[in-house]
Amino acid sequence: MGFSIWQIILVTVIAYIQRLDFETTQIVPMNYMFWSCVVGAILGDFQMGLVVGATIQLMSLGVAALGGSSAPDYAVAGIISTAVAIGTGKGMAAGLALGVPVGMICIQLDVLLKILNSFITNRAHELADKRQYRKMRMLIPVMTALMPLESAVPVFVAVLFGKTVVNSILNFMPTWFTVGLNVASGMLPAVGMAMLLSYMPLKKYGYWLLVGFALSAYLKMPVLGVALIGVAGAIPTFMNYSNASNGSQTSAAANGLTQEDMEDE
Amino acid sequence: MNKVSETKQEGRVLNKKDIWRAMRRHYLAISTYNYDSGFAATLVWELFPALSKIYKDDPDGLQASIDNQFKFYNCNPWMSPIITGATLAIEEKGKTKSLEAVQDLKTALMGPFSGIGDALIWVLFPTVLGAIAASMGKHGNSIGMWIYFAVYFLFFFLRSFLYKVGYESGASLMTSMSDQLSALTDAVSVLGIAVIGAIVPSTVNFQLALKFSQAGVSITGQQILDQIMPGLLPVTLTGLLYWMLRKGRKMTTLILMVIVIAMIGAALGILKA
Repeated sequence: MGFSIWQIILVTVIAYIQRLDFETTQIVPMNYMFWSCVVGAILGDFQMGLVVGATIQLMSLGVAALGGSSAPDYAVAGIISTAVAIGTGKGMAAGLALGVPVGMICIQLDVLLKILNSFITNRAHELADKRQYRKMRMLIPVMTALMPLESAVPVFVAVLFGKTVVNSILNFMPTWFTVGLNVASGMLPAVGMAMLLSYMPLKKYGYWLLVGFALSAYLKMPVLGVALIGVAGAIPTFMNYSNASNGSQTSAAANGLTQEDMEDE
Repeated sequence: MNKVSETKQEGRVLNKKDIWRAMRRHYLAISTYNYDSGFAATLVWELFPALSKIYKDDPDGLQASIDNQFKFYNCNPWMSPIITGATLAIEEKGKTKSLEAVQDLKTALMGPFSGIGDALIWVLFPTVLGAIAASMGKHGNSIGMWIYFAVYFLFFFLRSFLYKVGYESGASLMTSMSDQLSALTDAVSVLGIAVIGAIVPSTVNFQLALKFSQAGVSITGQQILDQIMPGLLPVTLTGLLYWMLRKGRKMTTLILMVIVIAMIGAALGILKA
């Protein structure tokens, strides 16, 4: 791709910082659009980053790595898709063709690094047993430094060799594959929706689905408008709940929710 | 509250600076996550300076305490500061006698607190803010993305206070607070469910490509579906996936399945974007 060495390094560093932030401070967590925009700005096309990021964000809605599970790395998908879309000049479809699969592969890297963390933690524990606290304290942050590589390495490889790979994919690709990929990116948000629904207390408040659906599908109301109506509905719920001094009921409901959460992990 | 607790508790050896330091160190968060001890290593790193001050004259106590912190611990990192702050306050008073209480408190609270943190900070807000940001971004408008950014930037600053809350309240406040928090979770899930109902038809986006022509009138399959109900396909697909999740299918299986269905549907000319 027509990127300078500096652009490739910067994009890799962005991918590293992105994952580092997610693993530690979470100042910009799961805001995949933001990172796509940063990469777009570095490569000279902010607007492309925004549109690609929005598509990735839609795919990701509701998908979260809860309880230590691994989810597709949508930030990597967004960063690579943006870089490829800008670099090849072939637009978003070409970007997604490489970005989304690599984002999926990142799940495997995540699992590998977490296994490596096991070894490092056990080693730190041994050092603590020997009262070599200095060494122990040096060893633990090593994990923090290693974890973000799961995003940085795939991005580096993809941006460096992206053009040849993408061109060969595009040359091979039959039309049904490109169309299929488009259909898939339209269908994938449903996975996140289903995940989300399974965390929610549907038995108690499921009827709000109808409200949201009717407003959006029939009245074409934007999401923010529906959210405002949702807030209006949430306020009486909160009042009723906290007024009900019935403690046992409250804790039972809370337990019900957490148990459902556990099931889904 | 601050003054009261400082004058009341004479057994305290930690000052504000120590708490602040532990708070800063807790940002190692989930980067040390592994499958056999969760992110226990983060707790060790986070609490070590404070613990070594507590057990200044007691190397055996320090070792026992660190050994205790190496036990499995996994919590949503946004909620974890409350718990570790509280355990620090307990351990400061009780020293080695409190180790069991510390472990019990950690195990008892990490589940419920994770539930709240996961539901709100990791699922609900990213979904609502992400849906707004993405629907704006698709049309080239970045304002939604900046709102998302700003909200979490604000949360980030609030997060540091959770450590103080945990440390100053100890274990006592936890139970009363968890009631309030579950009321909040319930209320916010109303908002969440309404938003999900709205974004299923607007973000899940695929159509039937079939065409029928009868008696000279041609009509597409999508038009027929739209006459029955707008958004029928997205709702059906989401319902099917939800049912499969309930049956215990993994998320990655579902993602792969959807991609395969999309490919086959496109190849046979049944589906289009």
